[in-house]
Amino acid sequence: MNEHIVKSYEDELNTLTAECARMGGLTEAAVADSLEAVIKRDKSLAESVVDRDERLDVLQADIERKSIRLIALRQPMANDLRRTVAAMKIATNLERCGDLAKNIAKRTLILADAEPMAPLTRSIERMGRLVCGRLKDVLDAYTSSDVDRAILVWSRDDEVDEHYNSLFRELLTYMMGDPRTITACAHLLFVAKNLERIGDHATNIAEIIHYEITGEEMISAERPKTDALRG
Amino acid sequence: MAQPQSGSISPLTSALAAAGAGAAVIGALAASGRLEIGPALGGALLVMGLGWLVGQRADAARALPAPAVEAEPGRSAPPPYASLVNALPDPVLVIAAHEPDDLAGRRFVLVNDAAREFLRIQNDAGLLVTVIRDPEVLEAVDIALFGGRSAEAVYEMGGSQDRVWRASAKPLDAAPNGDRRALLVLRDETDIRRAERTRADFLANASHELRTPLASLSGFIETLRGHARTDEKARDKFLAIMQAQAERMSRLIDDLLSLSRIELNEHIAPQGEVDLALAVMDVVDSLGPLAADKGVRLEADLPAAGTAISVGDRDQIVQVIQNLIDNGLKYSPSGGAVRIVLESGLTAEAAVASRNPLASRMSLLTPDHGHDLYGVIRVSDSGPGLAREHLPRLTERFYRVEGQKSGDRSGTGLGLAIVKHIMNRHRGGLAIESQEGAGATFTAYFPLISAVQATPRAAAPIVVTKVS
Repeated sequence: MNEHIVKSYEDELNTLTAECARMGGLTEAAVADSLEAVIKRDKSLAESVVDRDERLDVLQADIERKSIRLIALRQPMANDLRRTVAAMKIATNLERCGDLAKNIAKRTLILADAEPMAPLTRSIERMGRLVCGRLKDVLDAYTSSDVDRAILVWSRDDEVDEHYNSLFRELLTYMMGDPRTITACAHLLFVAKNLERIGDHATNIAEIIHYEITGEEMISAERPKTDALRG
Repeated sequence: MAQPQSGSISPLTSALAAAGAGAAVIGALAASGRLEIGPALGGALLVMGLGWLVGQRADAARALPAPAVEAEPGRSAPPPYASLVNALPDPVLVIAAHEPDDLAGRRFVLVNDAAREFLRIQNDAGLLVTVIRDPEVLEAVDIALFGGRSAEAVYEMGGSQDRVWRASAKPLDAAPNGDRRALLVLRDETDIRRAERTRADFLANASHELRTPLASLSGFIETLRGHARTDEKARDKFLAIMQAQAERMSRLIDDLLSLSRIELNEHIAPQGEVDLALAVMDVVDSLGPLAADKGVRLEADLPAAGTAISVGDRDQIVQVIQNLIDNGLKYSPSGGAVRIVLESGLTAEAAVASRNPLASRMSLLTPDHGHDLYGVIRVSDSGPGLAREHLPRLTERFYRVEGQKSGDRSGTGLGLAIVKHIMNRHRGGLAIESQEGAGATFTAYFPLISAVQATPRAAAPIVVTKVS
């Protein structure tokens, strides 16, 4: 980094936002690629997702370091403080999403050796596309500072949960029908769980955006929720 | 065309300026309809024109010491070819940057109208990463900025419209203050991709579904040529079954074709105005005889005509209504009723709000941007309803709820898939609410053309009840 250049306060804040947005782009790509690797049983794509995860870890550490530095040196207040803290928290959430994508990619390496399971992969694909869409929406809300869009993502978490529950039942049916599929189904179950958790992180990011812009916290009791363990 | 201070212009800039003048001539010819411009020439024109534009701007900055021009390039007096760049159908961005390490330094300094629309850019200039964060596109831009080479990347813009763009980054000459500059042009490749995918899907699904009736047909033909040759009674029976199977195949092919046609146009917004109340009335009238045959009542509760006008393709909207009512008829027992309610002027939240606290509810399609007000069509049947776990998969092609009788299984398994694709094209939404044993309600909502602020169901409501 160019430490010798004395940047203005505003520039430093902008850099934080820009780095979060770039990290968001990398995370989106990792999640989308890991999903494609599962669908197409593409081992080399899965390996590239695993390799790229390190970059996200480095970026997250970097954003955290810069945020702390900014808080220490500039002592931001109000809006600026919230922006800084939000960048730090969003980076942490994105890093977790990257880890989950990496985990999906690792499972793909095992799934690619097993028999293809077309109907299940289609269900995973639908759920994955939904989660990718939510991640995109929430990051769009972040870069355009659009609270309404963030609230929209936040209030729609139940769609992902429904997909997860439906997939859970479907996988159980397969496993009971043919015990030879248990290994593959168990991995797919974790893939679905990981996707569901990426969806949860998108919801978290929406909450952070809401706090960053309005200064108020969202009340999670108001969010529509479906009990994942029901039935 | 005046060339200001030609002495101070670099050889490259003046070459570009000359090219720009050429482009203008070609552009004028094309406008008068005397010259066809192919996509390749169009692209070349675009690069020449922009090169000229950026060059001109550099000259202006050199000539005028006023810093305002430099700091706010978008706000300076519009350069002569700004309208040309704005009129280009492909999104175009000019990106400037100081140094490779400085992420916040990569800014877009010029965007055309198409870029504003597709990337939802509100400002004339801003951080590049806030409008495009796809790592591959950013890398292509970096190669053009700092590697001095052209680079391309595929840019998949997620969301329910799912567009695919080809992003090409080309280096431009440096700005007077030493900033490096690059041109980023996006070209829509959604159609090509979609056509490829549709073909693959069609082959995979259709061959399987067509095989079943075909196998039955050839089985009966074999029997008729064999031992049933002389049995007149059996022959009549078999021929009736064969006809039913052949009809099923033809329905399937019709549905597949209309589905793939809808899919190809899915991201092109429909034109035209449709009165939802009249459309529902027409469908109710045309399905009346079918309902009477089944002994099912059709009850329609509609506001006055003219209160719910939506932007849309009338044939497709009719198909949505027809598929939903048809579906309701299929699952309603004799003596039951299918109820169709149209409400105008609801928000998206109100459209999908729960009506029955005991029912499971699921949104099958949610519109991308919150349009203000919607015209909402609800179709409720008195059938057995659906279990929660089936809801997310209903719009999947050829999905059938296991263990559920769908009458004579006359459906193709494509009806709801078609509904979903049409609703997506109309930027509308689709939701289902169902309680096992208590029927299902499908809700399709279309964006209204203008906010009809009249309270829903103003004027004299039309209540049509068809009793068979």
